[in-house]
Amino acid sequence: MSTRTTDPAWLLVTRREVVSRITDKSFLIGTVLMVTMLVGFIGFTAWQDEKTDEVTLGATPDSVAMATAVADGASEVGDKVDVTLVELDDEAAAEQALEEDEVDAWLHPVADGWELTSESSEQESLTAVVEAVVRQQVLTENAADAGTTVEELEAGSAVSTAFLRGDAEKAAVAQAVGFVFVFLFYIAALIFGMQLASSVIEEKQSRIVEIIAAAIPLRHLLAGKVLGNTALAMIQLLVYLAVGLVGLSFTPYKSYVPALSGPTAWFVGFFLAGFIALACLWAVAGSLASRTEDLQATSTPLTMLMLAMFFGGVSLDGRGQVIASFVPPVSAVVMPKRILAGGVEWWEPLVALGLLAVFAAVTVWVGERLYRRALLQTGGRVSLRQAWSAAE
Amino acid sequence: MLEIKELTRRFGESTAVDHVSFEVRPGEMTGFVGANGAGKTTTMRMVMGVLGIDGGEVLWQDRSITRLDRRTFGYMPEERGLYPKQPILDQLVYVAQLKGLGRVAARRQVQELLERFGLGGRAKDHLEKLSLGNQQRVQIIASVLPKPAALILDEPFSGLDPLAVDSMVDLLREHARDDIPVLFSSHQLDLVERLCDRLVVLAHGRRVAAGTVSELRDAGVPRFRLVLGGDAGWVRDQRGLGVLDLDGPTALVEVQHDGAEQHLIAEAARRGDVHEFVRVRPALSEIYREATA
Repeated sequence: MSTRTTDPAWLLVTRREVVSRITDKSFLIGTVLMVTMLVGFIGFTAWQDEKTDEVTLGATPDSVAMATAVADGASEVGDKVDVTLVELDDEAAAEQALEEDEVDAWLHPVADGWELTSESSEQESLTAVVEAVVRQQVLTENAADAGTTVEELEAGSAVSTAFLRGDAEKAAVAQAVGFVFVFLFYIAALIFGMQLASSVIEEKQSRIVEIIAAAIPLRHLLAGKVLGNTALAMIQLLVYLAVGLVGLSFTPYKSYVPALSGPTAWFVGFFLAGFIALACLWAVAGSLASRTEDLQATSTPLTMLMLAMFFGGVSLDGRGQVIASFVPPVSAVVMPKRILAGGVEWWEPLVALGLLAVFAAVTVWVGERLYRRALLQTGGRVSLRQAWSAAE
Repeated sequence: MLEIKELTRRFGESTAVDHVSFEVRPGEMTGFVGANGAGKTTTMRMVMGVLGIDGGEVLWQDRSITRLDRRTFGYMPEERGLYPKQPILDQLVYVAQLKGLGRVAARRQVQELLERFGLGGRAKDHLEKLSLGNQQRVQIIASVLPKPAALILDEPFSGLDPLAVDSMVDLLREHARDDIPVLFSSHQLDLVERLCDRLVVLAHGRRVAAGTVSELRDAGVPRFRLVLGGDAGWVRDQRGLGVLDLDGPTALVEVQHDGAEQHLIAEAARRGDVHEFVRVRPALSEIYREATA
């Protein structure tokens, strides 16, 4: 027939997997929600960082000098606090100004120092500034009374921090982004994995798998399902990463974006290999069950593995982290984290990725055999051993 | 022609299908009957390559069947086999594409068939939203897409109302007329008798009977009913005959020696009036019950 096409079967299956998912409302809503949350979080961080607190400080005649010092010194002490001085006649006027919200706080001397009175809640940024300036002023006066200077008193008391590798902020950023990598992998592998397994059960339970098996080799069905879900997971991941990196460039951390691009690219590579390796195992978990209710049981080893990967990725450090960064499938999350932290030899990611790819090839091979044999078995759960040794 | 030769399948200790042989000829509808667990579904799954074969073989056009041959077969699994939560048009097009049809041609064929089964307006509905009868129609459409080289249908009539049975029958007849072999299993013997050119009866994994309906009905020991003007008691003394039933002037006999019935009719005519002398063929259900007992 002239209308027959040469589209390979796996491609048809892949296309169906992708189309039926991206036209699925819950998938779309989930993705949009995640992106919105990401944008919102980054936007909030940027706004939080950019905004300047404007506060008014009331001063009675006995505190005008000190309050002036606070207003002048504010910009040096805390960032982004703008203090406006309001002069008040006496205590009664000060209390009234507080009640009428004309001032945020009233600074006045008390027996053992100074007091900052607010109406009911304190302004943290103002308190910090006042504390620092008052302390400085009083110290200076006290030092002068004792015939010395603040500098002399503080001499030799400073503790500075130093890092052999990078700096503190960079380490913190690496830590945070590393967590994001581990989290993204965990969530994607779990959600898409579960989805893949239940779509395998759906086909097995509804017996459409028999119609498909009569038309195309089951190998193609598995390949199509794994590739389709991998493509979806990758698309989703790339969207999240792009939104994250672009968003980051609008925050004070923008200087890190170029440095993060390299590790992010590595992460995408590790994600791909790690995801394919796990996807095949999820398909097997689905094929071993014969009803959705069985999935809980057949996927338990996998969910355990996912949890181990998550906690390993988050908590391992030192020698343990170095070893784990080469052991598949944990290496899929640990190595990108190490790359982020820096100090990784150029060959290390390559070796880890190579090992992960070999592992993926093995799970694909084993998974294909198990899947093919378990899929057409009906009636109850199939054990791994049964599936492995079953006749076709 | 589709030939099943000495097909055998074991599940652990039990033999589900035991050296079963029969053929499904083009242009004929072959009914596959047997009790639950007789091995019908297992046989059909082996024919479709969905289940491995332990012994024997399946021949298509006088050679061993291949995957590509099977791809051209229409198959309907025992339980309904489509995606419950997908629009029917989409999944039928998908099935047609898996069987090698191009996207455009697949769409056109599916739409034609949906129209024909009165489902044209429901193309975008999810399968699970349809009534059981309509779901079965969709299932049938899936199995006749694209024009199949053979049809293997496991219980195609289960769950259908009489009208749906009729349109299903029409469709199957139409395909049989196109000179393709049609094999279907059923529990509804009356339907099988009405539809089938040929019949294969399975019991406990073995083929216990096969042939055309009339062959099967003629296959047993011939039986005759005799209705006389007077009492038929004398029939007991006739040689070469077994009396199955005797009631006044009526006798039901089976022929144990060839030609005995000729002596019987001659003797009856000599003794008086003969109102009726007729060959009695057992109903299909009787044959079925005897064969599967």
